[in-house]
Amino acid sequence: MALKALDIYKLLPKKNCKECGDPTCLTFAMKLAGGKADVDLCPHLDEQAKAVLGASTRPPIRLVKIGIGERSFAIGEEFVLYRHEKTFYHPPGIFFKVSDTQTMEEVSAVTKRVRDESFIRVGSDLRCNGIALENSSGTKEMFAAAVATVEKAADLPLVLISEKTESLFAALVHCGTYRPLLHAATKENFKEMCALAKHHDCPLVIKARGLEQLAQLAKECALEGVQDLVMDSSPQSLGEFITASTAIRQLAITRAMPDLGYPVFLDATGSDIQDAAIALGIVKYASVIVTAPLSEASAKAALTLRQNIYTDPQKPIQMNPGLYRVGTPGKDAPVLMTVNFSLTFFTLQGYLESTRIPCFMLVVDTEGLSVLTSVAAGKLNETLVRDALIRFGVENEVAHKKLIIPGYAAPLSGRIEEMTGWKVLVGPRDAAEIGEYLEQEWKK
Amino acid sequence: MGSDIRFGWTGAIGSVILGATRSEGGTRKISYRVGGGTTLPFLDHAPASSPLVALEICDEPQYWPQIVRNYCGDLVDDVSAWATTAETVYGADLIRLYLTSTRQRNFSDIPLVGKAVEEVLSATGLPLIIEGSNEPGIDSEVFQKCGEAGEGERLLLGTAEAGRYRSIAAAALAYNHSIIAQSPIDINLAKQLNILLREIGIQQDHIMIDPYTGTLGYGFEYSYSAMERIRFSALKGDADLAMPMICSAIDSLTIKEVREADTAYQDEMAVAWEFYAGLAAAVAGAEIICVRHPKTVGRLKKAFTSLKTGSDPTGRI
Amino acid sequence: MHTVTFLPGYRKIEVPRETTVLDAAQRAGLNINVVCGGQGKCGKCVVYVQSGKTEFDQQKNLKFFTQEELAQGACLACQATVQGDLQIIIPDSTLIQEQKILIEGLDTGIELHPSVRKYYVELLPPTLSDPSPDLSRLLWGIQKNGGPVAEKMYAPLEALREIPTLLRHSDWKVTGTIALVPGGYRLVDLQENDTSKRLYGAAVDLGSTTVVVYLWDLVAGKMVAVASNYNKQISCGEDILARVNFAKKNGLSKLQALAADSINAALTTAANSAGIDREDIYEVVVAGNTVMTHMLLGIDPGYMIAEPYVPVVRRALSVASGRIGIACNRNGGLFLFPAVSDFIGGDIIADILACGMAEKEEISLLIDIGTNFEVVMGNREWMFSCAGAAGPALEGGEVLFGMRANPGAIDKITIDPATLDPAYSTINGIKPRGLTGSGLIDLLAELLMNCVIDRNGRINTGFNHPRIRTGVHFPEYVVVRAEETDIGKDIVLTENDIKNLIMSKASVHAACVTLMKEAGISRQQITTIYFAGAFGNYLNKMNAATIGLIPEIPISQIKNIGNGAVTGANIALINRRKRKTLDEIATKIAYIELNAEPAFMDEYTSSAFLPHTDLSLFPEVQKMLDTCRLHRG
Ligand code: SF4
Ligand code: FES
Repeated sequence: MALKALDIYKLLPKKNCKECGDPTCLTFAMKLAGGKADVDLCPHLDEQAKAVLGASTRPPIRLVKIGIGERSFAIGEEFVLYRHEKTFYHPPGIFFKVSDTQTMEEVSAVTKRVRDESFIRVGSDLRCNGIALENSSGTKEMFAAAVATVEKAADLPLVLISEKTESLFAALVHCGTYRPLLHAATKENFKEMCALAKHHDCPLVIKARGLEQLAQLAKECALEGVQDLVMDSSPQSLGEFITASTAIRQLAITRAMPDLGYPVFLDATGSDIQDAAIALGIVKYASVIVTAPLSEASAKAALTLRQNIYTDPQKPIQMNPGLYRVGTPGKDAPVLMTVNFSLTFFTLQGYLESTRIPCFMLVVDTEGLSVLTSVAAGKLNETLVRDALIRFGVENEVAHKKLIIPGYAAPLSGRIEEMTGWKVLVGPRDAAEIGEYLEQEWKK
Repeated sequence: MGSDIRFGWTGAIGSVILGATRSEGGTRKISYRVGGGTTLPFLDHAPASSPLVALEICDEPQYWPQIVRNYCGDLVDDVSAWATTAETVYGADLIRLYLTSTRQRNFSDIPLVGKAVEEVLSATGLPLIIEGSNEPGIDSEVFQKCGEAGEGERLLLGTAEAGRYRSIAAAALAYNHSIIAQSPIDINLAKQLNILLREIGIQQDHIMIDPYTGTLGYGFEYSYSAMERIRFSALKGDADLAMPMICSAIDSLTIKEVREADTAYQDEMAVAWEFYAGLAAAVAGAEIICVRHPKTVGRLKKAFTSLKTGSDPTGRI
Repeated sequence: MHTVTFLPGYRKIEVPRETTVLDAAQRAGLNINVVCGGQGKCGKCVVYVQSGKTEFDQQKNLKFFTQEELAQGACLACQATVQGDLQIIIPDSTLIQEQKILIEGLDTGIELHPSVRKYYVELLPPTLSDPSPDLSRLLWGIQKNGGPVAEKMYAPLEALREIPTLLRHSDWKVTGTIALVPGGYRLVDLQENDTSKRLYGAAVDLGSTTVVVYLWDLVAGKMVAVASNYNKQISCGEDILARVNFAKKNGLSKLQALAADSINAALTTAANSAGIDREDIYEVVVAGNTVMTHMLLGIDPGYMIAEPYVPVVRRALSVASGRIGIACNRNGGLFLFPAVSDFIGGDIIADILACGMAEKEEISLLIDIGTNFEVVMGNREWMFSCAGAAGPALEGGEVLFGMRANPGAIDKITIDPATLDPAYSTINGIKPRGLTGSGLIDLLAELLMNCVIDRNGRINTGFNHPRIRTGVHFPEYVVVRAEETDIGKDIVLTENDIKNLIMSKASVHAACVTLMKEAGISRQQITTIYFAGAFGNYLNKMNAATIGLIPEIPISQIKNIGNGAVTGANIALINRRKRKTLDEIATKIAYIELNAEPAFMDEYTSSAFLPHTDLSLFPEVQKMLDTCRLHRG
């Protein structure tokens, strides 16, 4: 459990000497509690306090980087079991699996898909992350050749899947400096695997059935000098995965079993419904997900889910700005402007639906603030409204230029009219009155 | 070293019974006890039951997503046939009937509502969820009518909201049905509504929470955590949140990504959207997942089966 | 020039053509209600033209008046201009009613230790054998009479210029005034003869709506007069934000002058009623919020109202009163309380001083509610603070029949469970005109206890009772029927009013909880809750807990310190040693920005329920509600 500011304050020297950069020990304690400062900034801490504070601020799950260059990414360094307690920080990498028994063309085509396909949602580019190459042939030559093919097509993070160290060794000749993730060290082969990983400074997946076995293996690999580990509990069903993954996360963040403090690996191709495994991996703590190349539909849904789960749930609930339809509005339907605070949006939408007057809702981006606060804070202003009108092409949707604004935004009406050239009608303050308003004001 | 997950829960999710068989005083082929979980979803060693999948249908298809109308064809014009198919072909566990006819302007043909409910009851043996009107002016009559038409069948009636719960509660109380309590993506609002319902006499085992599910990309990020928090608080012992949850990401089939998908994979896109949202919602704690695309039903059911076969995480399989 | 006569009372004033009637009335010394600052928006400055010519755009102001009222000559004083000799009737409701200001028994246990003192000395004239200079002679004399060590006193040039004549003219009998200023002891005044009994100081609460002045005899350690005045800045904008914006557009000088004027007006009234000369006031101690203090000093407050909200100065300040136009002794001093942040100002530090929470081991919670609210929690070791907008509902704003604590405001209500009829009292006991904050809180609690509203504040329209009905927009409860009121209209509380009240109370409670969570303490660890500000005056503490305005703690531990700002200023005036702690208190307090606190929104939603979503936080209230509800069945 995270320490409260006051608990931390009690451990501080209470000198208020400002050397940490904060005006008082109390404000420093507040920052520490919020994870916004480093314990070391206070030079006057005694050893015991340092030990207590250090332990509680060090991430319980190790940060592991995969790949190098533009598409490289990091996983791990998570702090919570439920995202509502803070947030999840490092989204899982999704890797399309290819095999060294496939043709070069096939391998290369999949690689190019991952390289090129992207999908833009709310301003960010959503992409799958890399290629997982399986040594199905069992030969090191074919494996090495396939790696070469992948490398030729793109600089993507890789997972190299083989139980044979000599195959991996051969593959690493081609990509050893690019930090591929090696899969997998087991109880039997971990010494050689560790040697390989260490030599190329690559992250390594460890694989075992059972958490105690995994923890044991992690400890042994760490002794061999490899700490960038990822854990594969090789689940036999979705049920096994969720149980194991939850247990690992819980035991790691509570530091009950610190040896489980590594990101989790999931091979979704093992499941008979791959989509289910991916969805589950995303919500339940997987950090590397290997899947057969996904259809467009599955990829979009999976990436959207991943984006959703890895947004900060504590930010005010926002709607995406845009032009929303209520019913099937025609060219003469009213356009109502509102803010992107979701409660405002949903309330208004609810009332609008019950009026049964088809209309448009123009949702502008007030960063999730309500009408009242966004007007007060100056976030809601005429430029924002103008930009939204243009950006969402409202003029093409309706044959009039009348905009209904919320009652609380009344002070802006003049300026909006000036800037947009639209006629502004001031609606009611309370969404509950919108029906009546539309009946009386719009209809006439 | 113990490596079991110990959360130290002190509470459990209550259960709600839906549907009544002949021996229970109704005419359903099956009845369900929904809820009853004692830990996070799918971690029960002896799971109470896996989530149920409900197919949503309606009695006035002009208000229904085009994709479903295309996929189902004429079926949507015959609510009884639609209900029968939902059970026999699509494999739904439950049917959720939206009385969309009540959304027509100045709707007043209350007996029609009763007729629709009766028709669907006789067309299927599955327990029913009935969505009544959206209009405070006719709420009371509509809910009374639904309640009466389904008397003895232990329906699940929807939807009570903080500003509109008295008429639906009255109907539920009068005919012993359960109700859906919906609040906009917020644990506190969900709890408040449950308290309000409790205070006018609705038993806890007659309430299902609908925390409102924004679909993927459209509010799901909040819905997911709202559900997780509700489940978490319930397990921590908050009785006012210890009701099973129902989830319906109804916008899934009308959002841009699906609406504008190439017609060749529009169905696939719709199903993927419903499926990912539905599965994630179940993992967050929803016990009934409602979908509109018939093809999503089977996929979700299959996934839930695979999820049920959990094992001891310690390796002592 | 035209003569305007105001009725009743026949006050006359000569003004030039085109003056607004409002201006004329103010010049005639009438306190007109100008809520919107004279922009023609609030409709509060209604007057009736009895005879004479004015210019007034009736069309534009139709919404404020009925045809009948217009026929009687109704107009807005701020919009109508004088076009000839006039007779104007000012209805009672247009005048600002002297608000009930609580002149509570101040804890006079404070030791007298003012920072200015007077010393009467009779000096020996210089001789050839005793040729020491005038100044040394004077200062030694003062030292001998109990004053500070002569070498440590400093006399400014102006004083030196006066000394020789004054000493000789008075036959070497003079009274010297010594003040302790940041640079040390300073001779601030020298008067002939013995004036040592005439030493006064003033403690000022510089609020954004009201300025309150307490006048003290600093020799006897007695309070001699109290006066208050509206903050004249209101003409530049009703709320602080509007005034800062006004300053941005029109410069700061007008606001600076108005702030000083408002203090001066109250100072004058107080001095007159005590029968003293303002010249004998040597020190003025001012506690005010950060923006007000900046404006009084003529420091630009503009950077404070936008992110990242930084004030120019937060430490305590001493300045010469003359430099900012305060009408006291020309060499008098002004002491201003320090601030914590833009939102936690000197007024709150004064509250803290007044309630003594910074000296206690136990944890206290201090709440100051106005349109904005401030909350401070802590003890002598640590303190957290936060501030936010409560919305005006708790002060009677944004409520259909809400009003400030003026005569006719219902301030207490109970509802008879059997008949659902209310029993109430009004301020000054006159017929009711509206509901004030405390009345609204009572009403909310009573309606809840009698199941007229649910915990969401929704009126149960299923109740078959003549007082419960559906109004134009919302269901409502009739508090007073038209015939019993002073305004001839039913006084009702609508569901929308209730919603606004719940939102206001929720922000206050959520702020308290946010501080408690930050510190990791539970409500049981709070020993005392202090209410500061006018809001607490009439408040029924049990009802405040019932609706969940504050965390539930035993009622006997909820205390009202009234106007803590002025009390704190009084303390600092009387005992200068207390000032030393102020900067220390101010730096000790950690400020929590609620907007940046993700948990706040959550606490807020959870608090927006009666009393709260988590009923276990209100065990006693819950028990009580259960029993009253049992009676209702
Ligand atoms: S450096 Fe340490 S002792 Fe100094 S103020 Fe910061 S926390 Fe306190
Ligand atoms: S209308 Fe507000 S002061 Fe005249």
